[in-house]
Amino acid sequence: MVNQFFPGHLNYSKEHEWAKIEGNIATIGITNFAQNSLGDIVFVELPEVGKKLAAEDSFGVVESIKSVSDLYSPFSGEVLEVNSELVNSPEKINSNAYDAWMIKIKMSNPNEVNNLMSAEDYKKYCENL
Amino acid sequence: MGPFAGFDMPLQYSSVKEEALAVRNGAGVFDVSHMGEFFVLGKDAYKFVDHLITNDFLNSEENKAVYSPLCREDGTVIDDLIAYKLGPERVLICVNASNIEKDFSWMQKQLGNFSVDFTNQSDKYSLLALQGPKSESILLDLGILKNKNLPYYGVAESTFKNEDLIIARTGYTGEDGFEIFCSHQMANLLWDLFLKKEVMPCGLAARDVLRLEVGYPLYGHELNDTITPLDSALKWTVKFEKDQFIGKSALSKYSPKFQLVKLSLDVGIPRENYPVLDSHEKEIGRVTSGTMSVVTGKGIAMALIEKEKMPANKEFLINIRNKFYKAKFHLKSFVNGGHK
Repeated sequence: MVNQFFPGHLNYSKEHEWAKIEGNIATIGITNFAQNSLGDIVFVELPEVGKKLAAEDSFGVVESIKSVSDLYSPFSGEVLEVNSELVNSPEKINSNAYDAWMIKIKMSNPNEVNNLMSAEDYKKYCENL
Repeated sequence: MGPFAGFDMPLQYSSVKEEALAVRNGAGVFDVSHMGEFFVLGKDAYKFVDHLITNDFLNSEENKAVYSPLCREDGTVIDDLIAYKLGPERVLICVNASNIEKDFSWMQKQLGNFSVDFTNQSDKYSLLALQGPKSESILLDLGILKNKNLPYYGVAESTFKNEDLIIARTGYTGEDGFEIFCSHQMANLLWDLFLKKEVMPCGLAARDVLRLEVGYPLYGHELNDTITPLDSALKWTVKFEKDQFIGKSALSKYSPKFQLVKLSLDVGIPRENYPVLDSHEKEIGRVTSGTMSVVTGKGIAMALIEKEKMPANKEFLINIRNKFYKAKFHLKSFVNGGHK
């Protein structure tokens, strides 16, 4: 663990998604840096279970009072599970971005993890934004 | 911080929601020093301003402010502004930051034979807006406001710590509140005094939510260079009974192309430029401003609808990312502000 804002067991995308990899399943959410930059999150739109995604496809949106941001999938694959609780309580993303997972993907190409950053690299990446 | 009209502006200090709710329930302060201040001095001051704007300035009360569009000869809107009657030969005009140069050069060209001294003093003035139901008691406590007699839209010249201030009971939130025009140093001092009184510092994002909740237009959104006040629910500010004003002849013949409507959604948040459709899914207009109301928790929008396509059944859909959401039509504002 690098620290609570950049947990060491996760992988990170440039678009500020985190991914937790267990076997061929990846759990995806947005990072603490992302929720903090967005401010009060008031709306979340997530895909249907079964949706096929290519890496870097938009899989949904998060909206703060002021802005709309696309969510990008770090992996190609199929959506296995969706955290529909977030649709009713989007503020959970603000209270703990790493608890508030959004989707689980069955990865079709686990090697795509090589496109992601470690906690340490992502922390540096955020510091330079 | 974010760039706005050439200024580096605070968009939010803490949370947009907390800031906006503080204004509805307590008090919040906005640094809106980017706004423009023009002064019109001299014996024709009132006449000149009355000539420029569509609303009635000449017959408005002394020590009161008037909200008005500023139009071209063809009736299109250059800006919307507030003109303050400070005294028989003194008028303060407050304009939008992004339009300072455009407005000032336009007004200068209209000077003609009016006997006035017309100056742009935007660089010399800061402007703080203290807004919310607790504003008056805070200003009285601090001795900035000397008594409770200032009416809604009233303006008074005052002094505080030996410095001149202009205080008006105006604002852009729908709540009771005051706008204070003063020097930059005084603005710093007042800001700190307000924060010590537990006033919430508020940014432009909260300001936008607050003005939308009460249905106030914003230049560049509900108003722009290509439409007239009659297209944007501002007929009440165009006084055809006046002998003359710039744009009168064009506006008196004009039949509006658009109608401004207020719409809300149970699900989803409308945003600027999202298409608005009738119940047959035909596009009839566009959202001009949209956000989520912090009071109702619903998506709210203002939209310009093509007049001839206005649905008689008042049923509207908003297209959000190619999904159509049923919108509720509102005659009144989404939230009732508590202003006096």
